[in-house]
Amino acid sequence: MLKKLLKYDLKNIYKFLIIFYSLAIFFAVLTRIFLSIEDSFIMNIIGQICSGVTISMMINILVNNLLRLWVRFKENLYKDESYLTHTLPIEKSTLYASKVLTSLISLFISVCIIGLTLFIAYYSKENLETLKNLILPVVNIYNTSVLKIVLIFLFIFFIEFVNTLQAGFTGIILGHKMNNAKTGYSVLFGFVTYMVIQIFGLLVIFIVSLFNKDLMNLFVTNEIINLEMLKVIIYLSIAIYFVTFVAGYIINLNLLKKGVDVD
Amino acid sequence: MDLVKCINVNKSFGNKQILKNVNLTIPRGKIIGLLGKNGTGKTTLIKLINDLLTISSGEILINGEKIGINSKKIISYLPERTYLDKSMTIDQVIEYFQDFYDNFDTKKARKLLKDLSLDTTLKLAKMSKGMQEKVQLVLVMSRKADLYILDEPLGGVDPATRDYILDTILTNFNDGASVIISTHLIADIERILDEVIFIDNGQIILQSDTDLLRTKENSSIDDIFRRMFKC
Repeated sequence: MLKKLLKYDLKNIYKFLIIFYSLAIFFAVLTRIFLSIEDSFIMNIIGQICSGVTISMMINILVNNLLRLWVRFKENLYKDESYLTHTLPIEKSTLYASKVLTSLISLFISVCIIGLTLFIAYYSKENLETLKNLILPVVNIYNTSVLKIVLIFLFIFFIEFVNTLQAGFTGIILGHKMNNAKTGYSVLFGFVTYMVIQIFGLLVIFIVSLFNKDLMNLFVTNEIINLEMLKVIIYLSIAIYFVTFVAGYIINLNLLKKGVDVD
Repeated sequence: MDLVKCINVNKSFGNKQILKNVNLTIPRGKIIGLLGKNGTGKTTLIKLINDLLTISSGEILINGEKIGINSKKIISYLPERTYLDKSMTIDQVIEYFQDFYDNFDTKKARKLLKDLSLDTTLKLAKMSKGMQEKVQLVLVMSRKADLYILDEPLGGVDPATRDYILDTILTNFNDGASVIISTHLIADIERILDEVIFIDNGQIILQSDTDLLRTKENSSIDDIFRRMFKC
């Protein structure tokens, strides 16, 4: 059943996302073409405009992805379509798993498409060198390659987004337990959940810093922290986001299992 | 074993109590009218049976089991609103029902839709609300269910469509199954009902065999309803 649900959820979300993916790649190609034409002021201007559109398309992919997943969740579980969703012979856990898997898959693909768009629009030996020089200190402390570091940052960005998304799901579930102003409460509870995740993250880093003087500098001084500490923060961030994701998943699932009150 | 058993069911929204100590049994093989004025708790009761609302207190048993996957497998529910994804075509909706309901009869659904002369490649969004409701009715009645729950199937439709709806219900429900029809348009459905349940102010005030009630009161169900619910 999960497979079937996933099929319909992915179909629904990709009906629109595929358009934005295509547009982002299309403008990335145009950016590359126009910016590669040298000695032409007009072509350069057009290239810059295309570059701006490409960047806005990339932002649009993420925002749109996030909003569509929230809207789909709400429509499917609490609005008109919920009359079908909740009467399907399916466990609530399967329903929720499908929503979360759809989110993970679509956000992962969106991040990949953004990476591809960046590559198409801006890849050149010079740009790669600039990027390498920028993150070389981090590469050195990890004793790894530039590519791996980029992937680690993209991964953190991805799990941060996944947590934001799940905070939204928590907000929607809690908001719809209210009798009035459900949308308003959904936004409020979603924001509060997001803030709780961030405060929890800070708290964990603070607790760890009690045993690590260099890390404590992050809280008590304005000095640039030791780059070695960046390694600790990255590992901690991954662990914190993983824990909050699992905790959020369990909380949301239990809230859903207690039943829903559809509009 | 009764098909549906409601034991002391209460439902409140905040301080407002919608259902009060509802005790009810639905037998097998009957067409039952759930009758009451607007806002008396008919839809709330139906939504509770379909797991669309949580019970404040009490218990609902379907085939002796609590509401869950097994009850959803045997209940075919038509809500009072259009609930299908309007961006889907009729073919896609049929595929959806086929995917999720083991007891969905695709051939029957296609035949009934053909009778409506509907283009199955058409998106629901391109169809009128009335037509969307007919498609929903066809899908719901194409399941070989033990219990069909139809919430206000006659609401806001013209007399010709009412006849079509009643005809579709009568000729398509599974043998031995029960049908609960919630409505306040009693005159239209009176002839097909085996039993009636009157609900008022969140309470079941009467459950009776229709023939017995007609004989006892020496009047039609519609007249009895009008008398009992006189404003």
